[in-house]
Amino acid sequence: MQVAFRACSVQDLTAGEGLRIDSVSPPIAVFLTEEGSVHAVDDTCTHQDASLAAGWVEDCRVECPLHESTFSLLSGAVDQPPAKRPVRVHHVTLHGDDVLVELSQEAPNLPPGMGTV
Amino acid sequence: MTVPTLAPEGHLLIVGAGLAGYHTARGVRAHGHTGPITIIGEEHRAAYDRPALSKAYLTGAAAEEDLLLDDPEDPLDVTWVSGVGVVGLRAEPLGVHTDDGAFHTADAVVITTGASALSLPSLDSSEDRGGCAPARPYVLRNMEDALALRDTPLHGADVVVVGGGFLALESAATCVARGAGSVTVAAGEEDPGARRLGSPVARAIRSAHEARGIRFAPGARAQGLRRRPPSDGGPHYEVLLGDGGVLPADIVICAIGAEPRTEWLLDSFVRLCTQSGAVLCDDTGATSVPGVYAAGDCAQWASHSSGLRPVGHWQEAFEEAAVVAAALTGSDPVPLQEPYFWSDQFDLRIQGVGRIHLADDVTVVDGTSDGGDLLVHYSRDGVNVGILGINRLRDVTRWRRGSRIRPASAEAPGPTPVSA
Ligand SMILES: Cc1cc2nc3c(=O)[nH]c(=O)nc-3n(C[C@H](O)[C@H](O)[C@H](O)COP(=O)(O)OP(=O)(O)OC[C@H]3O[C@@H](n4cnc5c(N)ncnc54)[C@H](O)[C@@H]3O)c2cc1C
Repeated sequence: MQVAFRACSVQDLTAGEGLRIDSVSPPIAVFLTEEGSVHAVDDTCTHQDASLAAGWVEDCRVECPLHESTFSLLSGAVDQPPAKRPVRVHHVTLHGDDVLVELSQEAPNLPPGMGTV
Repeated sequence: MTVPTLAPEGHLLIVGAGLAGYHTARGVRAHGHTGPITIIGEEHRAAYDRPALSKAYLTGAAAEEDLLLDDPEDPLDVTWVSGVGVVGLRAEPLGVHTDDGAFHTADAVVITTGASALSLPSLDSSEDRGGCAPARPYVLRNMEDALALRDTPLHGADVVVVGGGFLALESAATCVARGAGSVTVAAGEEDPGARRLGSPVARAIRSAHEARGIRFAPGARAQGLRRRPPSDGGPHYEVLLGDGGVLPADIVICAIGAEPRTEWLLDSFVRLCTQSGAVLCDDTGATSVPGVYAAGDCAQWASHSSGLRPVGHWQEAFEEAAVVAAALTGSDPVPLQEPYFWSDQFDLRIQGVGRIHLADDVTVVDGTSDGGDLLVHYSRDGVNVGILGINRLRDVTRWRRGSRIRPASAEAPGPTPVSA
């Protein structure tokens, strides 16, 4: 049974943007949407090494800051190439201001050249 | 909704199996096109994405299958005709001739033949060569080109890279990573990129390369390449510079630009730019021939011709494909966004967005040229028209977001008109 860890505080987040958490490997990104929901997915785009936390969040999707692929913050699914594989979605619960994240047990889809860490 | 050029069950023929061709097909399918789509490409391989060819593919970090455009697990409903070159276009009946003697009819044609790499002239006379083939540099356009360079051992070799654009600098960076003995860039300008991107950016790029041991030849332009007499020993080739300088090299990589692949259209009614040879289009990609569109590196849309947009970047080809797909199917028009490009060199991720080519001023807003964290703003007549960041993904994202042009259909409905 996996336990959730405290990834950050809601106060650390900016609406419409992501925060990279690299205390876990591979790193994850925590997002606060403009609508106020909090989500966590793998931080690295599955196409190329780029931090999704620096990407653009809209309609509960994050667009990779390099290219045009966007990932659903709810399912991790990608909408269009260049990325083809989904990112993992991690379970988030809020405890007061604390953002608690339970990491997905699936294997991550890391981009070529990054290998599994 | 505009009137579709292509009936939903019509045959769409795409010439050129690259980025723009693939995404046009994908977009047309997404808009509900049910008719057949044929993509004819002269390369004997599945369509792939090019940017890694001067980066991760050369170092071996990315393999051929990582570059494929189509998803083998969820392939597009398209007929691929590979290894066949298109040699002519006919307007009546509409279709194309291929080099195997066939004629393929179509209800609409999209030209996405990209560009071919320019090369450096060979300056050796046939006597000098003593029966050897003329000296040829490595170029980088197709996977075949990149494969040839990737399969060449570089360890300890003296490499000369001719060109000062991103392709040249990216490939120079990969040569260092592959253990080249020396890497010299002959950029034809003192600080490569200074004219296009401004001195602070050019200095940042140059200092990052110099810190890894890359040398920059004097700013004179390279004139050509020739074999060295075997009796001289040492490297087999030399690059001649306009100022009389000579750069000996075991390996010469040439990245001095590209020209549109439109030679096969010379006898057609498709209007080409007299200077660049690119297919002239309006801003929906329509050419001078009804039912024929063009997108990507082979095309010059009205906004390019008027200097409003630059040609030759990945994002440009990608967005044009979406515009053409919408126009072909009569879907709501898709707006072109602010121009955008990126480049990866060592640990520098360079991203530029906006009308950088129109700027008359560049200002450093954060970071330094030596810090790998530079952020500059471009302005024209005092108005901010663009931004470039080195490892500044978040800042670039914010700027792009702020300048996003929404399609008319996505805008919130305005106030309901009150009838009098
Ligand atoms: C090595 C390299 C690195 C790059 N890196 C970057 C980068 O980091 N950032 C960036 O913004 N942009 C980059 N670009 C630019 C970007 O890749 C191009 O803008 C993009 O590929 C253009 O797409 P296209 O579909 O127009 O042409 P292409 O992708 O070149 O596709 C055209 C296809 O048409 C085929 N073809 C040509 N003539 C015929 C014919 N007569 N019959 C049949 N088939 C034909 C060609 O073989 C080719 O497969 C790079 C380009 C290269 C070459």
